[in-house]
Amino acid sequence: MSPELEQCPRSLLVCEKGNFKNEKSRHESQALKHSFNCRISLLIPECGRLPVMLEKVLSNFSSYFHVQDFPVSTFLEEKWLDAVKKGGFYALSSKTRIDEDNVVAVLPSGQLILSLDKDTYEQLGLEGRPSQYSHRKTVRHIVTVDLKSLVLGTKKYQRVLLCLKERVPLKTDFLFTAAGGAVSLLDLLSKQLYEECRPALHCRTLQDLLCPSLIPSDLKGESGSVTPTQFLEWLGAVSLSISCDNQATSFLSTYACPEPQSSVSQALLCTVTGLISPQDVCKLLTEIRRYLDEPKLTSWVSLTVHGCADSPVSWGSAEHGFHKGGENFYNFVCFQNQDYWLHMATGAKDACPP
Amino acid sequence: MVRLKARYLLCEVCMSERSMLRLLEEKDIFQAVKTAVTTAHGQYGLALFNIGSAVRYVNAYTGVVMLRFRKAHYQLLWSALPFITSIWKQGQRVPCFFNCIHVGGTIRTCQKFLIRYSRQQLFRMLPHCKTEAEKQQVRKAVLSCSLNQLRQDDDDDDNDDYDDDNDDDDGK
Amino acid sequence: MEKKPTPYERVVCKNTSLYHYMKINLVFDSRNKSLSAEQFKQLIITGLKDLYGEVGAAFPFDVLTFNQTELSAILRVYHSSLVKLWSAITLIGSYESVSCAFRVTQVSPFLLALSGNSREMEVF
Repeated sequence: MSPELEQCPRSLLVCEKGNFKNEKSRHESQALKHSFNCRISLLIPECGRLPVMLEKVLSNFSSYFHVQDFPVSTFLEEKWLDAVKKGGFYALSSKTRIDEDNVVAVLPSGQLILSLDKDTYEQLGLEGRPSQYSHRKTVRHIVTVDLKSLVLGTKKYQRVLLCLKERVPLKTDFLFTAAGGAVSLLDLLSKQLYEECRPALHCRTLQDLLCPSLIPSDLKGESGSVTPTQFLEWLGAVSLSISCDNQATSFLSTYACPEPQSSVSQALLCTVTGLISPQDVCKLLTEIRRYLDEPKLTSWVSLTVHGCADSPVSWGSAEHGFHKGGENFYNFVCFQNQDYWLHMATGAKDACPP
Repeated sequence: MVRLKARYLLCEVCMSERSMLRLLEEKDIFQAVKTAVTTAHGQYGLALFNIGSAVRYVNAYTGVVMLRFRKAHYQLLWSALPFITSIWKQGQRVPCFFNCIHVGGTIRTCQKFLIRYSRQQLFRMLPHCKTEAEKQQVRKAVLSCSLNQLRQDDDDDDNDDYDDDNDDDDGK
Repeated sequence: MEKKPTPYERVVCKNTSLYHYMKINLVFDSRNKSLSAEQFKQLIITGLKDLYGEVGAAFPFDVLTFNQTELSAILRVYHSSLVKLWSAITLIGSYESVSCAFRVTQVSPFLLALSGNSREMEVF
């Protein structure tokens, strides 16, 4: 067959192994860098119902706010600028697609990122750079405005204001969330018509699950245990309730749980959906470590965090594109001896995770 | 100018009855290859076949045919040739198979190969001859092709031949 | 015995996944037809056979899930066959002489990514 029919977009998978107790451990900073998370899922083997401590953390996740037709120029108002400067503030345009619409996001670092199509970019008149993942012709530009260094009344401020207010009065639906309590979104949004949303929690108990056996020291699966790819595939199969029965006669599917495997009588799968701030993810991670400190039947717990496919950044301020799936997610596997595995996966239009 | 490179496949059509070879025609072979490509590689294969494929030469006595394919996808089309089991001739199914004997970059290299190949075939015929007259005839035929034409051709196109061999190599 | 903390290790894998996963949806023109998972897979194989012939219909792919009410499925296919499968699916136009079409919702080299597609989520 022709070679061009067998090519695929590249994908990256970064696997890390470390110990939470290690002082240089970067697990927290890596989680904090991933700004826009839309779903987390927690898999606890040998557990029938959600432990009280974990439930407390999950139900204490901060709310997020949905505002319709929010003008982007509002970010330049004084009280918004002050809020952004305090940090811990996240905003992402919703229902906009990174490969066809204009996408706007505010990062906790105070950067306002506009990912614009060609027409809007040319009308707007703010300097940006062409998208890193353009194909032959540049059709998308990224404009970054540092809100932290913007001072009211200066020339630069006036210019940004003019562009966003008069030249192209951008308006989209927005999702806001704040972490750390420094910013009160309720105060900020008092003039807008907003909707407060709570992250939705769903729990499911799985019976008689086939689990691959994990060895904490063997990250790459070299000594006969599962490879990271096999493990992630299995996690996906569990969360999508794909059966792992390996019937040789099956016409439909040949998927089987990777070897070596063991049977688990029950497992708990929890998913939380909504705009979840990285700080909340870190809190949950700490709680999971505490949960594993006590002697338990299970030797590991897995935490998956899915990033928004349409966010303009993945980790830090690295550009993110959609291409075919826009996948950007990471997965922690926490072991009883405080070891952890971290898998970070991205698609074709993403830089390598930190 | 970009030259569109082609590959020429010399094939032997083998039939159980040699008398049927006389009926070989270009369009029947073309149709047979086309059908085989469609079954093996579907619409995609058919589309590739429709660009620049042809039957360039048919020898109804020896059963040698020369097929022309685009170089870019000749391997895919070539892979369909073993699946030809019959040729339709006047509404009649003639069982046969294709035996590919040479792949060349130009018609000329194919011609040279064919002459060499035919000469070998003549040598093979020699022990099977029954009468002295037949033997003489074969010997004469061998001499005629080896001395007069081939030697001369080789002298003329030594460089040319080398070029064409290079052509063969740049296929992936 | 005091154990030493596990040393830090980092591996970057490029194109590590052997498979690609596709979330697809079958829509019918007028009335909804019901079909079983086996018929669904057969329909795709027929499409492959039309476009890529017997050689094309021979490569393996799996139907991991099939939802009979929504006619949606998750397929697993070797990454080298992704383009062929995708193009064949696109060109399937009818099932039992009722016109139909496949909609590809998401394609990813990670199955896990299919469980958290923000484009399908109702986050508010």
